[in-house]
Amino acid sequence: MTRRESARRVRHHWPMVGWLWLLWVLLWGSVGPVVLVGGLLVAVAVVRSFSLPPILPGAVPRPLAIGRLLIGLLKDLVVSGTTVAWQALRYGERTSTAIVEVPLRVDSDLLITAVAELTTIAPGTLVVEIDRRRQRLYVHALPVRDDTDVDRRREAVQTLERRVARAVGRGRRTGSSGDDTSGAVGDLGYSADPGYSTGPESSDDPDQGGSTP
Amino acid sequence: MTALSDVITAVLLPAGAVFCLLGSVGLLRFPDIISRLHAASKAQTLGLLLILVGTAVQLPLRYAPVLLLVVLFQLLTAPITGQIVGRTAYRVQAFDRGPMFRDELADRLARDGTPVDERPPREDADR
Repeated sequence: MTRRESARRVRHHWPMVGWLWLLWVLLWGSVGPVVLVGGLLVAVAVVRSFSLPPILPGAVPRPLAIGRLLIGLLKDLVVSGTTVAWQALRYGERTSTAIVEVPLRVDSDLLITAVAELTTIAPGTLVVEIDRRRQRLYVHALPVRDDTDVDRRREAVQTLERRVARAVGRGRRTGSSGDDTSGAVGDLGYSADPGYSTGPESSDDPDQGGSTP
Repeated sequence: MTALSDVITAVLLPAGAVFCLLGSVGLLRFPDIISRLHAASKAQTLGLLLILVGTAVQLPLRYAPVLLLVVLFQLLTAPITGQIVGRTAYRVQAFDRGPMFRDELADRLARDGTPVDERPPREDADR
């Protein structure tokens, strides 16, 4: 029983097995039969003994979109790395920051984690709090001087979110069995929320102006 | 071929070093913990990335994947610590509201009836 259970887990986790295998081979730096077989054994053993939530039904990787995501990420890294460095040099103590609330459209643990991770990688933005239930990120952004900057930051994170959703997107919490027919890249997988818009006005802002001192 | 790779290395290594240096400058000059995290974890990540790419060009091709792994795990792990520290700093109010232009998290908490500013401002702040 448990045997079949763990065999099923290995089958559901084959991307993880493949990745661990690749990692093993890369770390050994050679491709001999011993390394290959040993790596596969170790990978399967690791996946079987640690129960992680399966990523496969929830995410469908699209290589092209992942490439675009990575290129965009590198560009962000350079651009905002330079910005933060310049802030440190030019303003230092007199720099200006803000915590921006970013409503997200994706609704899966994996995608929200990915968006939060990537947001924090890019310099100048740092996720301080994740509101999982309301699908919100609270992002500390470094050079923010006025309202335009706030909106720009919010849009930047949402652009990133869109890229992530395109790259591995399904956005459902756990995919049902009929999920794999989603070839269409146009359908991004996240639920269309009518109250959501990419503009500065978000779904529940009416009292926002009042609560800001 | 070697001339080209030498040029790439000669550009990337100092550039990476400069970013690391600027990260340290930011660490010193930014006003509070969260801002410093920006400098500490980010500028340095970019610096390390540049340095590793600059190094990879000089090495035989079979070492490149290992350097790539270093980059990857740096990119994967740095944000996690950054986020944990930032979150903790926010929760214990160990940061400066002075440079903050807007705080929508505080707005949200105030709306939900859990104001963040309940505690008196710290008097024993180190700066």
